[in-house]
Amino acid sequence: MKKIPDKEILLFKSCLVNVEYPGVESSTKYLFDKLGIEYIVSERQSCCTGLGHYADLFDQFSTTALAARNFGIAKEEGHKNIATLCATCYAILKKSCNILNDKDDIREQINKILDGSGCHELNYDADDMDSRENIFHSVEILYNKADEIKDLVKVDLSGLRVASHHACHYCKVHHKDTIGNARDPMVIETLAKACGVETVDWYDRKTTTCGNGFRQRYMNKDLSFSVTAEKLNSLKENDVDILLHMCPNCQMQFDRNQESIGKSVGTEFGIVCLNISQFVALALGADPYKVVGVQTHTVPVDKVLGKIKQTNLCQ
Amino acid sequence: MNTLKIDENSFELAEDIIKDLKASKDLGILKCIQCGMCTSVCPAARHTDYDPREIVKRVLDKDETLILDDILWNCFYCYTCHSVCPVNNSVCEITQILRQKAIDNGKGKPKVAPFSAYGESFLEFGLGSIPSNFFDDLIKDFGKEWLELKINIEDIREDLNLGSMFLPKKDVDDINKILEKTGFKNRLNKLRRCRDEENTR
Repeated sequence: MKKIPDKEILLFKSCLVNVEYPGVESSTKYLFDKLGIEYIVSERQSCCTGLGHYADLFDQFSTTALAARNFGIAKEEGHKNIATLCATCYAILKKSCNILNDKDDIREQINKILDGSGCHELNYDADDMDSRENIFHSVEILYNKADEIKDLVKVDLSGLRVASHHACHYCKVHHKDTIGNARDPMVIETLAKACGVETVDWYDRKTTTCGNGFRQRYMNKDLSFSVTAEKLNSLKENDVDILLHMCPNCQMQFDRNQESIGKSVGTEFGIVCLNISQFVALALGADPYKVVGVQTHTVPVDKVLGKIKQTNLCQ
Repeated sequence: MNTLKIDENSFELAEDIIKDLKASKDLGILKCIQCGMCTSVCPAARHTDYDPREIVKRVLDKDETLILDDILWNCFYCYTCHSVCPVNNSVCEITQILRQKAIDNGKGKPKVAPFSAYGESFLEFGLGSIPSNFFDDLIKDFGKEWLELKINIEDIREDLNLGSMFLPKKDVDDINKILEKTGFKNRLNKLRRCRDEENTR
């Protein structure tokens, strides 16, 4: 298995985490602090371009140039292990890193552009970063600490039935670097089990896309929703209470659209959507509103909050 | 001796794709044996006429009408085909490259133009965002609470003890210079013109 760092980490901010589920960032920071993981956040870091890139708006060259700039910032700030909060940032950065290492002409052109844009100090030399050794999803950093997490659990969340949605851009794009089996990664399940919770290890359509499909959600909504509905139906058949995520775009697809899809197929799903970092933070006793940020969710998180209340009454 | 003469340019489209910056190292288009693994796992193939195996066949047949075919725009970019291919081919990447060719050709521009606001916001803040022209539609599905979230996001971030998400001005300026020189600004301007023309129609 690849070696996962626990220091010199740049926690890479995500556009959709910023404004849709900021609790994912605050939960991850809460857990990193509890687990003694050394990290920084940089105000200079730009977004990865992901939503625009996969809507075919951003070209590969521009995306790679901006990645080079962000890699330069990570190096300059002495934290060149990048941990993303979003699966698409993870895929985009790894791809850009491979291009910068493999294609001398592209790297030179990009360095020239950085020079001419007042960013000479951010130039990229071949193999400055390694996509396997320096670029991670933040959930991988947590997975590496699953045993320590076990000892820190304060809230009994057992009795809730959880399933995972591992995000295609984590497990399929750079599938040789995915922890576990790329066709059925168990990263999220391992973390949920560390919190003492039963998981639905396999369900029909487990590895299917969330259905967002970038342009599809906006331009081709019926197609997008029919894929999401397949998965929601399977989760319902498996009596799932909570669907655990590692990508804010997937989380939006299942959380924000759930009621609308439910109405169109005549089912009330009531499936709570949480990022795995939010779930683990709740199990470790983090405040639902001041750390986990449940106030930005569309499907109410009441099922989980009820459990926390019970634990508090028992103490 | 009679020999079968193959058009020496018959794999031109495939080779063009292999050379593209988006194509992964050793992209195995030419190794495709038409096994259909890609189609068997494709969500778009389940719900539409998009057929990844057929896409590769048409590329290998140098069928350039594929670039203008609306079918390309049904892919979800989920990379499931890419993750199961036994010969390291990636229809997902091929489709991305073909869509770029469609944009260059002009026919694909109206497909991408509605996402121009993403680029505008990126140039203004260095941050990605959902294009604002979709907000009215989204509120219908997401509910009014989502609009309230947009209004209150700064306060919520403060409650969560998160710093500002905005980049310092100098960094936004640098990003603009970079995107000018990579040709992105020029590309965006063309797409914006296309969007504005569609809107006045």
